[in-house]
Amino acid sequence: MKNSPLFRLLAAAALLIASALNAAESQLIVAMLPKSKGNAYFVSCKAGADRAARDLGVKLLFDGPTDSNAAKQNEIVENWITLGVDVIAVAAENREGISTALRKARKQGIQVVTYDADAQPDARSFFVNQATPQGIAHTLMDDAARLLNGEGEFAIILATLTAANQREWQQLIEKRWKEKYPKMKLVAVRPCDDLKDKAQSEATALMSAHPNLKLIMAICSPAVPGAAEAVKQAGKTGKVKVIGLGLPSENRRYVKEGVTDTVVLWKTEDLGYLTIEAAVAVAKGTLKPGAKTFPSRQLGAIEIQGDNILLGKPFAFTKENIDQFNF
Amino acid sequence: MKPADVPARDWKALLLRHEMILLYVLIAEWLFFYFAGTSVNRRGVVIGFGTLDRQFDVLRHSCEIGLLALALTPVIITGGIDLSVGSLLGLCAILFGKLWHDAGLPIPVAAGLTLVIGTLAGGLNAVLVTALRLPPLIVTLGTYSLFRGLAEAITRGAVTYTDFPAGFLFLGQERWLGLPTQAWLFALVALAVWLLVHRTTFGRSYRAIGYSPEGARHAGLPVASRLAGVYLLAGGIAALAGIIYTARLGQAKADAGTGYELFAITAVVLGGTSIFGGTGSVHGTLLGVAAIAVLKNGLACLPVVMELNAAEEIAGLLTGALLLLALTGGVAFRMVPRLRRSRGAPSPTPPSS
Repeated sequence: MKNSPLFRLLAAAALLIASALNAAESQLIVAMLPKSKGNAYFVSCKAGADRAARDLGVKLLFDGPTDSNAAKQNEIVENWITLGVDVIAVAAENREGISTALRKARKQGIQVVTYDADAQPDARSFFVNQATPQGIAHTLMDDAARLLNGEGEFAIILATLTAANQREWQQLIEKRWKEKYPKMKLVAVRPCDDLKDKAQSEATALMSAHPNLKLIMAICSPAVPGAAEAVKQAGKTGKVKVIGLGLPSENRRYVKEGVTDTVVLWKTEDLGYLTIEAAVAVAKGTLKPGAKTFPSRQLGAIEIQGDNILLGKPFAFTKENIDQFNF
Repeated sequence: MKPADVPARDWKALLLRHEMILLYVLIAEWLFFYFAGTSVNRRGVVIGFGTLDRQFDVLRHSCEIGLLALALTPVIITGGIDLSVGSLLGLCAILFGKLWHDAGLPIPVAAGLTLVIGTLAGGLNAVLVTALRLPPLIVTLGTYSLFRGLAEAITRGAVTYTDFPAGFLFLGQERWLGLPTQAWLFALVALAVWLLVHRTTFGRSYRAIGYSPEGARHAGLPVASRLAGVYLLAGGIAALAGIIYTARLGQAKADAGTGYELFAITAVVLGGTSIFGGTGSVHGTLLGVAAIAVLKNGLACLPVVMELNAAEEIAGLLTGALLLLALTGGVAFRMVPRLRRSRGAPSPTPPSS
């Protein structure tokens, strides 16, 4: 009585041994962990990663929390440790939290790289860094100068005056401006608290306070559509140009209407591709600490600074190419 | 009719008790994953479900939800419910982090205070349920949002407490006497709750209250104070789960334990405790927790599931299916003998599943 279902299941289990053993992998297994797997940004990363996995003949596992959840990230890494994958690539939701699990993986001989958002340095061998502060600052400032032919008034809208990354970008933008474009004039730097509405009212105020303003540079993502909306409502499309750092999807409308000229970000597909290439190279032992460059099949020679693999200059999304990107 | 009413000397009935059936399911599940979820990788290393490390992971991952399920068992036996335990876990994790990091208290003091605060938070549920006679479902639905909201307000949704000392992380990430450290605490709490529910007059009164609160009152039982006790206990255990969660992940964040209350309730009900109160057992709850944990962790080791990159989602789906199967199976088991009796058949051999 008690035995019959039990024994039936036992028999089924025995039958499955064979299939389980057959499934033992001979391919290199790369596991990629996004912050959240439904996010368009990471879906686009995955598209690049899939392509890299095909090109390199490795097997790619891509799993992550459905929402950005640090605890689930850890559990997924622990699953991968017991599955004995060869290398794990992680975009960390929480720097310290994930590092515990990553160190455990390394202890068991699994290689670890990070991308997009780094873990603690001792928890991974390389960080695939999508953009350096210099890269972002120079791309934005050079683009502003190109649009204004190197002269005229411009203003910056940023998230807050205290956020470390915002301060750093602002300082590097100003440095580039003073060094290369002396005929341009920075008339104001305004915070928008990372809010689109506030960015819009700040932009409106800037335009009335500085009638000769030619360009607004928005360096936090909600500020780009916010500033664009202000310019559009003031009827100054084309007279006051808008550029900034943000997602193509949020700005597509304004870019196509000609309100916003350029949105700067990195190509997320390239980030996914390079991450997998680097992960595979680390697992195969062809990429070792101390390397100065890394040859990418698709992106050419990639610079390595310390343990940061640099994706390179950010990408400029314009009217011509913005429809190709959906994140 | 109820499994608890079956005389224990009747071994056939004993073998068909809900808890025993759950035990068979658990063993079958475990064997299945042991064979189907273990393999040898390219480097010649045994990987998957059959490794000792994985077994310890299963244990580690079940401790917090297991504690919440233990906390909920007496509550549900009294006919109540506590939806706030998952949120309280999060709030306690944050408070513990804050007491240690911002107030500069030593870890043991911060932990002690957190347990007290958790118990007091459980006390809020207790007061609302007993003094104001509000339905537990509504009360704890309110505190469910309240506690999570507080945790988010305290951290403004952004602060995460990390960099806990190694001595504390030992509790969540290392082993002590061969087992994950937190498993010992879990075992201790499980034993205490088991003794409370099955070996004391308190436990008997919980069943009496769950079966008929009015009857229990007329029988002279101090219903209000007994009820208050189970909610206080739930608060205290949720706080302990919050501390263990923090030690396991090395971080305290406002979203800690989101959705855990539902897993815990599932485990309790799967373990044979009636959601209407009156019957239930702590060992059933433990089996329920184990069945869910083995399912979730085992699935992640199956090559087929691995390909789909959706272990979490499939585990959720199958947990739901398992619960529904257990509930309908239980009904069917009770239906069949009654049907036979009504046909006048002689006492039958129990039906095979």
